[in-house]
Amino acid sequence: MFSGGGTGNQGKIKGKAGSSSGSSSSSGSGSDSSESAASGSSSGSNSISSHTHDSGDSSSGTTPLGTPPHVQMASHESLNSESKSSSLNSKLGHESAGSPSAGSPSPPKSACSSSSTSTDHHHHQLSHVLSATSKMTVREGSRTLRPDEPSLFPGEHLEGTAREVTYLCPYTGPKKGTLSVTNYRLYFRSPETDPPYELEVPLGVVSRIEKVGGANTSRGENSYGIEIFCKDIRNLRFAHKQQTEVQIPLHLDRELYFSIPVFRRFRILHNIAGYGTSQMNEENHSRRMVTEKLLQHAFPASHKLPFFAFEYCEQYPENGWTLYEPIAELKRQGLPNESWRITKINEQYEICETYPAVWAVPAAASDNDLRSVATFRSRGRIPVLSWIHPESQATITRCAQPLVGVGGKRSRDDEAYIQHIMDANAQSHKIFIMDARPNVNAVANKAKGGGYENEDAYQNAEVQFLDIHNIHVMRESLRKLQEVCYPHIDNAHWLSNLEATHWLDHIRCVLSGSLRIADKVESHKTSVVVHCSDGWDRTAQLTALAMLMLDGYYRTIQGFAVLIEKEWLSFGHKFAQRIGHGDDRHQDADRSPVFLQFVDCVWQIMRQFPHAFQFTEDLLLTLLDHLYSCLFGTFLYNSERERMEKEVKTKTISLWSLVLSNMSDYENPLYNPATRHHILFPLTSMRHLRLWDKYYCRWNPSMRQQEPVHIRFKELLHVNGQLEKRVDELRKELAARQTHESPESLQLWFNFNK
Amino acid sequence: MEFAELIRISRCDRVMLQRPHHPKLDGTLCITGHHLIVSSRDDEPQELWLLHSNIDTVERRQQGMTGGTLWLKCKDLRILQLDVIGADQFAKVADTIEDLIRVEDPLLKYPFFYRAMYTVLEDGWTAFTTESEFSRLIQPGDDWRISYVNKDYKVCSSYPSAVVVPKSVEDSDLIAIANFRQAGRFPVLAYRHEGMAVLMRSGQPLITANGKRCKEDERLLNGVLAREKRGYIIDTRTQNLAQSAKNLAQSAKLRGGGYEPEPHYPNWRRVHKPIDRHHVLLDSLTKLMDGVNDTSSGTDKWLSRLESSNWMNNIKETLNCACLVAQCLDQEGASVLVHDTDGMDSTLQVTSLAQIILNPDCRTVRGFEALIEREWIQGGHPFATRHARSCYTPSAHRSKSNSPTFLLFLDCVYQIHAQFSCSFEFAENFLVMLFEHSYSSQFGTFLGNNECERRAMKAPERTCSLWSYVNRPEILPKYLNPMYEPNQRVIWPSVAPMSLQLWGSVFLRWVVDQGPQEAAWSVVRELKERDSSLRSRVARLRRQLQDLEREAMEVGIITSPTEEVMSVA
Repeated sequence: MFSGGGTGNQGKIKGKAGSSSGSSSSSGSGSDSSESAASGSSSGSNSISSHTHDSGDSSSGTTPLGTPPHVQMASHESLNSESKSSSLNSKLGHESAGSPSAGSPSPPKSACSSSSTSTDHHHHQLSHVLSATSKMTVREGSRTLRPDEPSLFPGEHLEGTAREVTYLCPYTGPKKGTLSVTNYRLYFRSPETDPPYELEVPLGVVSRIEKVGGANTSRGENSYGIEIFCKDIRNLRFAHKQQTEVQIPLHLDRELYFSIPVFRRFRILHNIAGYGTSQMNEENHSRRMVTEKLLQHAFPASHKLPFFAFEYCEQYPENGWTLYEPIAELKRQGLPNESWRITKINEQYEICETYPAVWAVPAAASDNDLRSVATFRSRGRIPVLSWIHPESQATITRCAQPLVGVGGKRSRDDEAYIQHIMDANAQSHKIFIMDARPNVNAVANKAKGGGYENEDAYQNAEVQFLDIHNIHVMRESLRKLQEVCYPHIDNAHWLSNLEATHWLDHIRCVLSGSLRIADKVESHKTSVVVHCSDGWDRTAQLTALAMLMLDGYYRTIQGFAVLIEKEWLSFGHKFAQRIGHGDDRHQDADRSPVFLQFVDCVWQIMRQFPHAFQFTEDLLLTLLDHLYSCLFGTFLYNSERERMEKEVKTKTISLWSLVLSNMSDYENPLYNPATRHHILFPLTSMRHLRLWDKYYCRWNPSMRQQEPVHIRFKELLHVNGQLEKRVDELRKELAARQTHESPESLQLWFNFNK
Repeated sequence: MEFAELIRISRCDRVMLQRPHHPKLDGTLCITGHHLIVSSRDDEPQELWLLHSNIDTVERRQQGMTGGTLWLKCKDLRILQLDVIGADQFAKVADTIEDLIRVEDPLLKYPFFYRAMYTVLEDGWTAFTTESEFSRLIQPGDDWRISYVNKDYKVCSSYPSAVVVPKSVEDSDLIAIANFRQAGRFPVLAYRHEGMAVLMRSGQPLITANGKRCKEDERLLNGVLAREKRGYIIDTRTQNLAQSAKNLAQSAKLRGGGYEPEPHYPNWRRVHKPIDRHHVLLDSLTKLMDGVNDTSSGTDKWLSRLESSNWMNNIKETLNCACLVAQCLDQEGASVLVHDTDGMDSTLQVTSLAQIILNPDCRTVRGFEALIEREWIQGGHPFATRHARSCYTPSAHRSKSNSPTFLLFLDCVYQIHAQFSCSFEFAENFLVMLFEHSYSSQFGTFLGNNECERRAMKAPERTCSLWSYVNRPEILPKYLNPMYEPNQRVIWPSVAPMSLQLWGSVFLRWVVDQGPQEAAWSVVRELKERDSSLRSRVARLRRQLQDLEREAMEVGIITSPTEEVMSVA
């Protein structure tokens, strides 16, 4: 009876694929229609069964010989797997009928989910939509949407399609199918397997596209094609048979050539080349066009195109842009008070262009002081309050390095300002300045005009170095980690290979640094000033994590969103640069997985305190998916100021709109709200850290969750709620009946006794 | 009594005990024949009771005449620190403990002195007989029968008195086969998958250098395949690093062992799947625990230490082999015979894990207990010998036959449990409990090396069974998995390296507080309880409502019952 709840939720996780048929007419290839209709009807019927098949499939794990059963099923038994899947289905059906409390086994992570970028829920929903549209095609005979094309988001449109493309899956082998490109995603579908193999990648995750093969390589079967390197730890290779290569006549300008209508191009080519069928040429052409469209829409910034977020026009019941109000958040923390004031001195982003418009600063510091301090801090990033302890009034403030330089410059105003921060906390006569960098790096920065606070100049201040390495080290570490995790894992040396990437080492450093800050604030009641060089990478990690440990509000879904809006977005973590949104310079030295590291740290804390978070790791996965996808405006651009200029809030949708509209998908059934007042001190030694395998290894088929426990938890909760409601209803009904019937029963009783 | 001469000091004041996750305990030490007791002097009820049999080794460091420190390293992997004041007292305490943990006579073990303070509802000693356990797998008129050829344990000292063998094989043949198989362990039935393919286990064949044959053995094995075409012999003997599989078998031949030559077993295919056993496994555990307990060293080497201990790799190999066996049985419908050298260690790991993968019964509490009884206890895993010493004993004092085989098996079960958390009726702590009792216990279940020895010491009559204790309704609920949903399917665990995780609640529990995890589970438990109480409330209310409606219909207030009431489940 409750099965509807489980499956019904599936579609809601990602953006809804609403009306999709409208834009499909813009297909660029326009190849002959009889072929598409044939493939349409056959794969259409496949997709109907795909849903149930998935759920059955996931019951089996890796077989001992290292090939997951579904692999064999998919590649070799696609023709006769009909019976197999149906028997699995009947088993499933039997099980769910026999165990009412479990409800239906809501489709767990599907087999193909390892290939769909946005979560698999999306994928499921997709197959729903597909089956619906393909049915329609058959019935009405009118062309709405071919089943090998993706269902589209509002605002999304098909840019090109290439047939007979082979996806070289590193796990399940090559698959032939159709590759489509829209202005948002790449979509590949192969009808060779049952259910059809589907792969979709939002183009935002593409980091680089390379052509493989050419005149100098051997002409092996799959030697031509493209390789797509993604930001979410996977590489995709597509190949196509090299057809008789059509040489564009030299005297024809390439651009001119492509501006000629298709049918005329044929004629030209026929006239000049004189061999090869038109269809072949057409195929080569459509492939080339798909590659070009891919490049354009994967790197809109480099092609002067808008991000898809500006075209996406889904309607969500909640508006995520209103979630974070800086002043409301400061009020929640109890500000302003006698020691801290709220200032809008930076409203025009004139003092510091990478800082937010609203600051909380020591009340003792005048606006002039602020201006003066800004000149002494790198990029004007002066110490501004991040968090204040509700009882002790100890604070976490954040800033950039002081401009000390080789000469050891001082600033009286900066020193006084730090003193004000310390004085604002009556509990302690000391202040800690946490420099996130290794000591040597901080010293080296002096040569570039930066440096760190001299303890002689700053009375009662103690400078500590947290030994966290810079963005370049982190980028290199992730690169190594990717090599270890994707596509194949070395069984014998997994752990030592993992160790050699130092990824967990860095995670440990960030976590223990944050822990140190939280401990100083909580246990020593001492205020802490945090900075690194510019104060937008490591500093954001440290303050946000320390706040997550100290304040249970940030461990709720809303609070976590506020934390990211505040510490990361408003304080100018340069998302555009670090991620390289829509930018094709994949070797840009400014890219770095700083935010990913933060999310990883959150996951590590969650793992140690499974009941202290209102959300599950699903929220973290969604967050990371859309960090790259460019579907939402949230992570676009580098600072609050840039986002204001680009009118992101009015022209795009916030990621939090999606999250807040689908809260139940992210809720942690184990959450105990009483933990809201707890302080979390996670263990940060190496043996308590684990690789976040569900993220880094998620494309590996053996990572499919064998039994989705959290779904059962969720079902339990759901059943619980239903029952509670039912009890209430019955109670009321009973009460109503009893009062209603009592005279009659009395009558009855009288009659009986007569 | 005999202990009196060993106990040089029975009481010692002013000792200081430090143990994991507890405050320091300042109190009095008492030593009895079986226990070491430390109780606090003040009124706080702090106390430690430790069985001597739990202590693996004692390390002492004397500090002149002022006393010294004892480190008690336990088989449950805990390390306790005990400070004793006074050189004389210190020496006496240390000597006494060392002597007491070396008491060899099994009849002096604690289970023979322990008396259950509750009435035993179902005696665990008689709950899992061969007859009842196999009654579901074999039916009268079947190809299999129960043989009592071993009723005096003379044919095979490590087998139980009743074993299941093919019907076509006479008892006299079994005696001949026993002479041909290592340790007399002739092939017996372990499990039958869906009434078809069979899983058997045995010791290695003693081919000897001149290629001895045993017609009876050949007839037995070939006869099993009468109806099916193919069978697999899974050989889990380890390879010496320098030796190829062939060399190994040859060197085994020289020692009298060997493998089944294919011409004589035409439909059996031999597969070599080496699994580490014995001291190699214990060394692996030692390295693992060295890494775990070494909290001082730079933590950055933890992962490579974990890897070099090879423990996780042992898990992977064992699970891999079990999956292979399960695959043969389930997907090929082929019969399987598993053996190593004498078929008491890795063989049992593989046969029992395969059953957990294949047979949903083995994932229930009772089924798992039966599995342990059948495959391990009656199957003749030499618990007394293997668990006499554990990983903290310096290697010089260990024997080659000490081994954490059973712990590795439990760890493998834990890995499957972690991947299929809803398919097991018992919770993870049930496995931890079994691990503890298999090393040191007040119960007689894990005493001795085999049924023959337990009979000889009259364990079934004189000791209490662990199963009698654990199955009591007061005890069992805390070992139940609140998320259990019976799952009739075969469950294929993933053996990819990132799917396997270190078993924290055994190996890390004395180093890391497992509190938050337990708290999370208690939330689940509460949820489940609330759920069932709500269900019963709903049912009760619905009945009331129906009664009222019937009443109302009788007097004609309403004409038909509300549909909704009937439909709600």
